[in-house]
Amino acid sequence: MSRTGRRRPEPLLALGLLLAAATLTGCTKDKPHHTLRVLASPELADVEPLLEDLEEDTGVELKLDYKATADLSGPLGPYDLAWPASDRSYLLRLQDSGTPAARPESTAIMRSPVVVGLAPAVADRLRRGVPGGRLSWADIADAAADGSLRFGMPDPRRSDTGRAALVGVATAAAGTGRALRERDVSCDRLRGFRSGQTLTGANSRDLIDTYVRRQGAADALIAHESELLTLNAAGKLKRPLEIVHPEDGMVLSDFPLMLLDAGEHKAYRKVVDWLRRDETQKKLMERTWRRPVSQDVPRPARLREEIGNALSYPDRIAVVRRLMDDYGAPGNRAADHVVFLLDFSTSMRGRRMADLRAAFADLSGADPTATGKFARFYRGERLTVVRFAGRVLEERTVTVRGDGDLRALNSFVGKGGFAADTAVWSALGRGYEVAAKSVADHPEQPVSIVLMTDGENNEGRTYGEFTRDRARLDSAARAVPTFPVHFGEADAKALRRAAAATGGRMVDANSSSLSQAFKEIRGCR
Amino acid sequence: MRDASGPDRTPSEEPRLTTRRPTRRRHRHPRHVLAALPLAVAGLLALTISGNALRPFERITTIDGKMASKSDFFKDPEVQRLLLKHGIRVEIHRLGSRGIATQSLRGMDVVFPSGQPAAKLILQRQQRSVRTARPFVTPLVLGTFRDYAKTLVARGVARPQKAAGGGDTLYYDLDMHAFLKLIEEERTWNDVGFRDHSRRSNGGRVLVRTSSVCESNAAGTYLSILAFVKNGNQAPGTERAKGAERPASGDPVLGVAARVKPLINLQGMAADEQADSYFSDEGESIAPVSLVYEHQFLKHQVDHQKKRGEQDDRRVLLYPSPHALTEPEMISLGEQGDRLTDLMESDAALRRRAIELGFRVRFSGEDGTSEQLNAYLREHEVQVPTPNPDQTKVDAPDLDALERIINHVGSCRPPGQDDDE
Repeated sequence: MSRTGRRRPEPLLALGLLLAAATLTGCTKDKPHHTLRVLASPELADVEPLLEDLEEDTGVELKLDYKATADLSGPLGPYDLAWPASDRSYLLRLQDSGTPAARPESTAIMRSPVVVGLAPAVADRLRRGVPGGRLSWADIADAAADGSLRFGMPDPRRSDTGRAALVGVATAAAGTGRALRERDVSCDRLRGFRSGQTLTGANSRDLIDTYVRRQGAADALIAHESELLTLNAAGKLKRPLEIVHPEDGMVLSDFPLMLLDAGEHKAYRKVVDWLRRDETQKKLMERTWRRPVSQDVPRPARLREEIGNALSYPDRIAVVRRLMDDYGAPGNRAADHVVFLLDFSTSMRGRRMADLRAAFADLSGADPTATGKFARFYRGERLTVVRFAGRVLEERTVTVRGDGDLRALNSFVGKGGFAADTAVWSALGRGYEVAAKSVADHPEQPVSIVLMTDGENNEGRTYGEFTRDRARLDSAARAVPTFPVHFGEADAKALRRAAAATGGRMVDANSSSLSQAFKEIRGCR
Repeated sequence: MRDASGPDRTPSEEPRLTTRRPTRRRHRHPRHVLAALPLAVAGLLALTISGNALRPFERITTIDGKMASKSDFFKDPEVQRLLLKHGIRVEIHRLGSRGIATQSLRGMDVVFPSGQPAAKLILQRQQRSVRTARPFVTPLVLGTFRDYAKTLVARGVARPQKAAGGGDTLYYDLDMHAFLKLIEEERTWNDVGFRDHSRRSNGGRVLVRTSSVCESNAAGTYLSILAFVKNGNQAPGTERAKGAERPASGDPVLGVAARVKPLINLQGMAADEQADSYFSDEGESIAPVSLVYEHQFLKHQVDHQKKRGEQDDRRVLLYPSPHALTEPEMISLGEQGDRLTDLMESDAALRRRAIELGFRVRFSGEDGTSEQLNAYLREHEVQVPTPNPDQTKVDAPDLDALERIINHVGSCRPPGQDDDE
């Protein structure tokens, strides 16, 4: 008897029971009450109340154990099924392990995109700054970098939601429109974005619980649309969060039910069929705010909103690992220190200088492109500018606390005077002195050097002298990479050699612009 | 008896009752049950005498079958009803076709891969001759959405098929040469003018979302289209047969595979169940262009007409040119499987139903596979497609060449065939 039977008029019910009763005795033994153990994502705790109906309708009881990690690592032996938010990380791990194990049968049960929930005032403010008012991950990163947005996101290393968010943001930052490759993640473009993270959690439930207790600690949460709608509906927030589906794409989770023990296929099939029928889909939607996979379940307005374009997910585990390593422990990562060595020899006069000023303005927030918003200077970052010609001319260091610091730095660069000759290696030597002090004072802070020159070395120390000096530094200072920017008539071969010797990479600005070249370097280590 | 044609009714109610054990309900209506027992016996006796209700007592055979997209056929409530008349219930084990071919078949009665390459791989592994059935064919197509199709038309890459009555067409012919060029030029949808045809924007690359080439027939067949086009409209691996010099640079098949690989790999991780996501409400967000089969689209349009009294105008098909037809093959692995395979081959009602589900069914003694399907579509007010107007057909590479292309493009793991999967 199905549940619907109860609603039928009594004579039909009687007839149904009559047939059931007639055959009961013969067949009961084939279908014992059945229990399946399920390794489930913590955020699926909201389906628990429906499981009683499942048991009543199908005779299959699901015992959910909410311990699923992002890639279902840990022993799977005790479980018949797995029910994560997504099977992507698990499949990547399986692929990487090299064992030709069969991939488990897997069926999507519900869908929900990873989105941003914004405090209404912040959402309004951000939208005003964006033509058309449609916010993107780049706008979120931009606001995080300039300190006007603080957000919470689950830990990508432990939570599948956090991982999906990280891949989504990184894909938007790469801006290629395709799945991330290893070369796309060789530079960590998320430093500005990350500088705005103030809350985290082992999973999105933990994150949301923390946020409910400390609503002043963040203006935004990154999580599944379903969790944010549920949070809003619970009425625990002073002001409900406004849900933004970022314009530059999202990662969609489809909450697949996976069959780990092939011997349980029959029960699995029953459970899947039950979960995917319209009646259940409707209940799941109403209870959890996840979107139904069924086409025939009418949706409330909030679940008819367009979710934007799904981003391609990388198919190499190395790409995701690199992203997670770079992102590090949330909220626990020191800001960077970048030392810019800028050539102010007389040949820089005119257009070249204009190009340099534009490049610094762009890095200070003027660049409206998505890549510019991700690559910009960010709050907390330390910036040293060394002007040089035939010798070091002048030096300035700021820690970015607000627009004023960036204005000061821009004016330092913009108003600097020129001098004769080009002492490339003396300047680089000075760069390593600054770096060495920085490393000694703030060992936790990553330091890198950008060396921009438009001419060949004709003054000061030789390359050989520079390398000898550098060899005397302690190992932490020696490890600071140099990223030379080749401009004008600079000696590409010498610059490339310096890059290789220090673990950096040379970028050519002649084929694009200084702004483009600086952007390309930003975040690279 | 309830209506068995609802969208998610599993096998019709009657035989289910024969095995169903009310779990908690038993405690709720014990009196009904007890009171009804004598009546039940009397009723059943009466039915038995009348001669057509022996089914509850007949043994229903469960046939375990591994299959991919052709599980659509066995999920259909009407097909389930027809099979129950023969005492058969099919338990679907869902897996990609090539996955079926490369993994253990233990415990299965039949397999039903969606196309010939996987079927051939499976048949090669059989120690004895087995019964098979190839009840229908269906073209591989690209499912997309109106705004994307219009964008491709404006780029001169696609051409609309004429709709009777002059309305918006559901079908477009896609010039694969020109389309692959857009992919190779690294164009995004916005680059090719998507915003001129839509209020949305899409900075994602022009690409076709496929299931895993290592596991699915659709993706493998799509690869053979790509390989054919990239090889100058010639099946890779046939160069030697035609007496052409083997290039000094090495293996011509791998050469083509290397050129095809980036066209697939830019999508990153492949996704299962393309049709499931394409037809969902989020379909357009999930992928602008998905690899599906024609039958899935036609069935969707017929259902849409039935439910809403109109065609789904948003979802439209691109028929690739050159095109590839797929031919699913049911392969029996034992006696039980033989019964089902025979029915698939011979049962008129099942074949009739296959047409209603959008398949092109082969009838011996008739000209084409399409007339009955076209008539059915017209009857249900769904535009009739012209799947292959200029008759350019992909010559599929031979099995060995295709396998090498697939393995190269997908970096597929060696087949498991583990016995305890």
